[in-house]
This record gives sequence, C-alpha cells and structure tokens, in this order.
Amino acid sequence: MEEDEFIGEKTFQRCCAEFIKHSQQIGDSWEWKLSKEAFELPSDDCEVIEAPAASQVIKYEYHVLYSCSYQVPVLYFRASFLDGRPLTLKDIWEGVHECYKTRLLQGPWDTITQQEHPILGQPFFVLHPCKTNEFMTPVLKNSWKINKNVNYITSWLSIVGPVVGLNLPLSYAKATSQDERNVD
Amino acid sequence: MHYPIGLLFDLLASSSALPWNITVHFKSFPEKDLLHCPSKDAIEAHFMSCMKEADALKHKSQVINEMQKKDHKQLWMGLQNDRFDQFWAINRKLMEYPAEENGFRYIPFRIYQTTTERPFIQKLFRPVAADGQLHTLGDLLKEVCPSAVAPEDGEKKNQVMIHGIEPMLETPLQWLSEHLSYPDNFLHISIIPQPTD
Repeated sequence: MEEDEFIGEKTFQRCCAEFIKHSQQIGDSWEWKLSKEAFELPSDDCEVIEAPAASQVIKYEYHVLYSCSYQVPVLYFRASFLDGRPLTLKDIWEGVHECYKTRLLQGPWDTITQQEHPILGQPFFVLHPCKTNEFMTPVLKNSWKINKNVNYITSWLSIVGPVVGLNLPLSYAKATSQDERNVD
Repeated sequence: MHYPIGLLFDLLASSSALPWNITVHFKSFPEKDLLHCPSKDAIEAHFMSCMKEADALKHKSQVINEMQKKDHKQLWMGLQNDRFDQFWAINRKLMEYPAEENGFRYIPFRIYQTTTERPFIQKLFRPVAADGQLHTLGDLLKEVCPSAVAPEDGEKKNQVMIHGIEPMLETPLQWLSEHLSYPDNFLHISIIPQPTD
C-alpha cells in the first residue's frame, strides 16, 4: 500500500516562505503572520471579486494554516459584501463554480464548513483537509519521478483555491521550477 | 462556537450553582464572533468533523475511515438520542490501540483559558515517552501550557478542570483520553483561576 505523503511543519514553513517571496515579487498581497503564542502561521490575501449574478462586490480574505492533526495545510476564508454583511454558508455553497458543484453536492458538510479560526477565534469557512493527502500524494510522487521541483503550497493552493474563488497566477509555478537551489 | 455545554460551564460559570441560568438572545446575532447553527445537520457535521480529527491524531484516521457510513450514523444517533450502549458499541473501537503500542499515536486535546486571546491550545503530544513511561496530565501542561502549572513551591493559581472535576496531575494522559474524553473523543481541558473563597 502506498504511503501517504504528509508535510511536516518545517517543510510547510519553508514552502510558505518561498511562496511569499514570489508574492512580494509580483505585488500579490499575501502576508506572513507569526502568532506570538504558538506555531500556526497564517498568511492572508484580500481580493475583490465580482459576483455576476447579484452584481454585488464580495470581499474575500484567505488564510493558509498548518493542521498538525492532519499534517497538511488548510485553507480558511471569509467573505463579506462591501457593507460588511457576511456571506452565509449557503451563499458560499451556491457560489462554488459549476465544475466543482457535483463533488460539493456529494457531501457539502464534508467539503466546506464553518469553523472557529484556531488563532483569531472568529468564524471562518474552511475547506476540509481530510482528503488533502489523497490528491497531493500523486502530485508529489510524480514530481519526484520526473525530477521536477514542486512547492507543496503552490501546488496545493492551485488545486483547492479555485473551488473557493482563489486563482493563483501561473507565475508561482514558474518561479518554483526555476529555483534550482531547492532540490534537497 | 459549537463547544460542548459542559466545557462552557467549566470555563465560564464553574462557580455558579446549578441549574445554570443563561440568557438567550434573539436579536443582533454577533456575526463576526459566533458560528451560526442553521440546522441539526450542521451540528452533526461538526461533531463528525471533531471525531475524524481525533482519529487522525490517535490512529492516522485508520479506524474511523475503516468504519462504514452506518457506523458513523450510529455514533451521531447514539449521542443525539442519549443511547449510551448504541454510542459505545462503535466508540469503543476508537479507544483501542495496537497491542505492541502502549497507547494512541497522539492525544486529542484542547486547552481553554478565558485569559488568553487564542481560543484554545492544541498541539501534537504523545501519550508515551521514548522510554515507555506514560506521560501524565502534568507532563502535558508543563509542555504546552507551562503558565497554568504552579511552580514547585508556589501557590496554586489555577484549577485544571475536565468535566467539572480536577483530575490529579499524575494521572496518565492515555487513561484520561480513553475514559474522560468528551463524545467527540477530545479532552476539553479548562484552565480557570483558583476561586478565592
């Protein structure tokens, strides 16, 4: 049976550091925030996205945290209208792009739920991490096979982000493959 | 925040006499601070999510993932309908560990204090040390929340409470996890100031 590939906390930090470096280079607004009391490390981004149906502007805030229980990164996010009114879980489910709808409807509660942010203590939407290893393991194994460099965070975020409206510029992936010194 | 009611009582009102009088609000829901509870499905999903996370820590999710959907349903229905035997028929499997080990891989716990900004402390912690000795509740606190434990010769500043009682700090954590966990399989531990009466 194939061993699942987890990432340790140090690898998580290293991948985030490389990710942030590129973010700063292209003027993307990801930030690295170190919590005083412990070791979870959020980075967040504010994006303003048009929701065509309602013709309203929705502001999204994304945080990437490390789950020591599942040993994978987890995507937390919140969304509100410009007047400050938050979106409901139902709004979020309805806003998921058509191409991911089937998967969502198979188990909405297993996919996107609302939880307390482990550092801020406020309600956030969360993309459930329990299936992360299932899709990341083949990505990592394949990259080793073809001897290609892969930033776990970049790959992971480019897979899960679009489900909840976060699209990564292609330059993140190009930055990783150009970075020779990361081969270890 | 979908916390167990017993935890809320220990953390916020442990010095109150029972029954616990609470005020229910119907207006001005604090959207930024509290999770909504739209339906029973939301609670079931939250409960199962905690169960899965606990098993991820205890057994790398192997035990819970091997169960069928009907077993998961039985856990929830047993809890919802207050059916002890129905619940434990399945939950006992989540309390087992391989014969060659002395306990779970990691202990599912969360430590709550009203005096800190952070909602809770949760870290990886093994129940058994490298030399085979069982870690105690005191060992856990010393490692993840040292401010909670009084210095050797100092005065006791805090109470360490689970389910309304103060277990001895020498109690093995593995035992606590098997016998004093909440239904979601987590040890929810409150650190509250020592009452001054």
